[in-house]
Amino acid sequence: MEIAELQDKIFAFVEAAKGKKKLKEKDIIKGVSAEQSMQPDEVKKAMRAMIDVGRLMYSYGGGASSVEIPSEEYLREKGLIK
Amino acid sequence: MKKYTTPLIDELEKGPWPSFVTEMKKAGKHNEMANDAVGHLEKCYRTKMGYWKHGGIVGVLGYGGGVIGRYSEIGDEFPGVAHFHTVRLNQPSGFFYTSKALKEICDIWDKYGSGLTNVHGSTGDLVLLGTKTDALETIFAEYSSRGWDLGSSGSALRTPSCCVGQGRCEWAMYDTMGLTYALTQEFQDEIHRPTFSYKFKIKSSGCACDCVASIARADMSIIGTWKGDIQIDQAEVKNYSSKMDIKAEIIDMCPTQCMSYDGKELKINNAECNRCMHCISKMTKALKPGKERGATICIGSKAPIVVGSLLSWVIIPFIKIEEPYTELKDLIRKIWDWWDENAKPRERIGEVIEMKGMRSFLEAIGVPPMPQQIREPRKDPFMFYTEDDIASYKAKEAEEKKTGKYKF
Amino acid sequence: MALPQRRTDIGPPHFEQFLPPVIKKNYGKWKYHEVLTPGTMVHVAESGDKLWTVRVASPRLMSTDTIREHCDIAEKYCGGYLRYTTRNNAEFLVSDEKQLEPLKKDLTARGFKMGGIGYGITNVVHTQGWVHCHSAATDASGLVKAMMDELYDYFESKRLPNKVRLAVACCVNMCGAVHCSDIAVVAVHTKVPVVNHANFKNMCELPTVIGACPTRAISPDPANKSVKINADKCMYCGNCFTVCPPISIKDPERDGVAIVVGGKINSLRSNPKFSKLVIPYISNEPPRWPKAVAAIKHIVEVYAANARKHERLGEWIERIGWERFFSLTGIDFTFQSIDDFTFMRDTMRTASTFKW
Repeated sequence: MEIAELQDKIFAFVEAAKGKKKLKEKDIIKGVSAEQSMQPDEVKKAMRAMIDVGRLMYSYGGGASSVEIPSEEYLREKGLIK
Repeated sequence: MKKYTTPLIDELEKGPWPSFVTEMKKAGKHNEMANDAVGHLEKCYRTKMGYWKHGGIVGVLGYGGGVIGRYSEIGDEFPGVAHFHTVRLNQPSGFFYTSKALKEICDIWDKYGSGLTNVHGSTGDLVLLGTKTDALETIFAEYSSRGWDLGSSGSALRTPSCCVGQGRCEWAMYDTMGLTYALTQEFQDEIHRPTFSYKFKIKSSGCACDCVASIARADMSIIGTWKGDIQIDQAEVKNYSSKMDIKAEIIDMCPTQCMSYDGKELKINNAECNRCMHCISKMTKALKPGKERGATICIGSKAPIVVGSLLSWVIIPFIKIEEPYTELKDLIRKIWDWWDENAKPRERIGEVIEMKGMRSFLEAIGVPPMPQQIREPRKDPFMFYTEDDIASYKAKEAEEKKTGKYKF
Repeated sequence: MALPQRRTDIGPPHFEQFLPPVIKKNYGKWKYHEVLTPGTMVHVAESGDKLWTVRVASPRLMSTDTIREHCDIAEKYCGGYLRYTTRNNAEFLVSDEKQLEPLKKDLTARGFKMGGIGYGITNVVHTQGWVHCHSAATDASGLVKAMMDELYDYFESKRLPNKVRLAVACCVNMCGAVHCSDIAVVAVHTKVPVVNHANFKNMCELPTVIGACPTRAISPDPANKSVKINADKCMYCGNCFTVCPPISIKDPERDGVAIVVGGKINSLRSNPKFSKLVIPYISNEPPRWPKAVAAIKHIVEVYAANARKHERLGEWIERIGWERFFSLTGIDFTFQSIDDFTFMRDTMRTASTFKW
């Protein structure tokens, strides 16, 4: 699978959990690698690349860290959108 | 700048101990945020409660920690602390600095933050207290371009820390500062990108004095120890005898009663010594630890949340701590793998071991059972037997029948 | 001005560049040390080189102005090198004995306080409190300041049977690991939290909140799409608040502090120990918490008068027995000192061999 396609799958996976469950990195890596029959390391690498450019972001709440889709406010603050 | 009247916290500028209120006011003289923090704190003292909200979602791009979001519930009243985020800078091992480096840290912080700091925070980071969201990327660029990285927060490997070790201590049984630096570099990814179920802390102490309290507050406590005989300088022992009552203060206080002194010669039955450090620490000129040096690895300590505090448990009684620390790094990875596999959200490794059983943990990391790991054996008769356990006990009995000699 | 290029995953600077030459030279080759005064000690290397350390109190919460003053002093006397301790003191290191007295004189003139080494009381490990924490049930810095003003002589000059390590935690999360201190203050909540049902469903995960409760006091409240808390089971730990902000636990008139004693972290003579609860509740009394401070001073004084040389507070208590500790200090023994959480089995007495 092309990395861009995998990243779309990862994004869809995170989007599906939005508002329902706070996903840890591990949940995403495990979930997507099972769903797509891929190596966890590949998923991790693709996900990290998304975090590096702000397509996903690390969040913190309820005493633990999670991965989420960034808000517009976050993207604006990072200068990624105007 | 608004001038606050602060009769309550002014009381904390009196007395001989250095005053944090004086520090806040000092920063407040030339910094709006610090000035509002003074007014904000006076209100806390007046109403007997705090006004900070839960940490929010702030950080630098790509990292999942190092910045703690902090917002005030009463930001309208005190706009300077409406955003008041913490930035954790990863401290150098042993908390050593040059004035040049520290002043540079201060200059940047004065420019973009409140000018208030904690030197240091509980975990060990140099804590920069209070800045706004829109300054975070700039602060990170300023510091990282000068060689300073962020520390950790959240569900990650927290910034490792250590005692002063071989830098200034004759009892350091391994190079705590070197190890801490090496582990921090090795695990940069685990420090900055929260991938665990909860926090994981590593603290390194050079001996059983445990100056970083690793036994009480580190998921992995690395505590220096030795094998072999305590080295004795009898002439120095004699010098001590004129300054202290060796029998009362040393011999009688030895927990294993393995020492004697007849006024001429100090004797130690080293086989019975448990290396507690009492005698060595009181007669530092006369006694030195044995020559084969390494560390004891203990796992699991934490504060009381959720079901009570834990002290770390002895897992590996003795391990050599030598560059490039490969054995230890591999062990840490094995420990994380098992923890990651078994932890529910917000479960520290000590809690997971309690839940899943010490055997499961020890087997996963490839460590055999040893009496050094326990204070006493179990007192209940409810235990697991695997088929392999029984097979091995039966095999031992079969062997005994052949040799005619019991092997318990 | 353009922003410099950010770098990620570089870790901290290597410590070696911050080590004074005498330390670099004698790294790992120290022979012994001696405490000269409560504020100074000397380390002697196998090479014969000597390193004098002067320890100075810090409020931990420091302005950059004060850090810069530390730096100026280090530049004047210590070749620009300085360090801090795990208990937040500043240390000035000199390898030339001639610099020692001028350094101390300058420190005194500038109002810095030297002390904290050896058998006395050094700086207090503590948490953020009202200064910067969302879950604080008291202010840690204020308590520390009030305590250390009262106990200052033990920092600067007066000696004790052994060191007494003090700590303050502004809630039971105890992020400074105060649970193994000779004497620690831990701030407590004493009332069942209140749930804001309207915000619960947007901000909290039901299973996480239920799972966060150590006493299983939280159950679903389907009518409100929220949770309810069983007042008979709640021990006010606040862990539900940590995972779910709409659950509110702070209460200005009921939050207060408890005092625990007898812990230690080193293994000298006896094993590391937890601190144990002796005073269950004292009201928050900002700005100077007079009753909490008086209680701590009283415990220090009773220890000083009764312990043998080298005995830590917890060791002394184990030798004389907890019943004797309560009678010697005159502290009321209350139900809260009997464990009804996780450690009852280990902590009840199972023999008739106690003292009257």
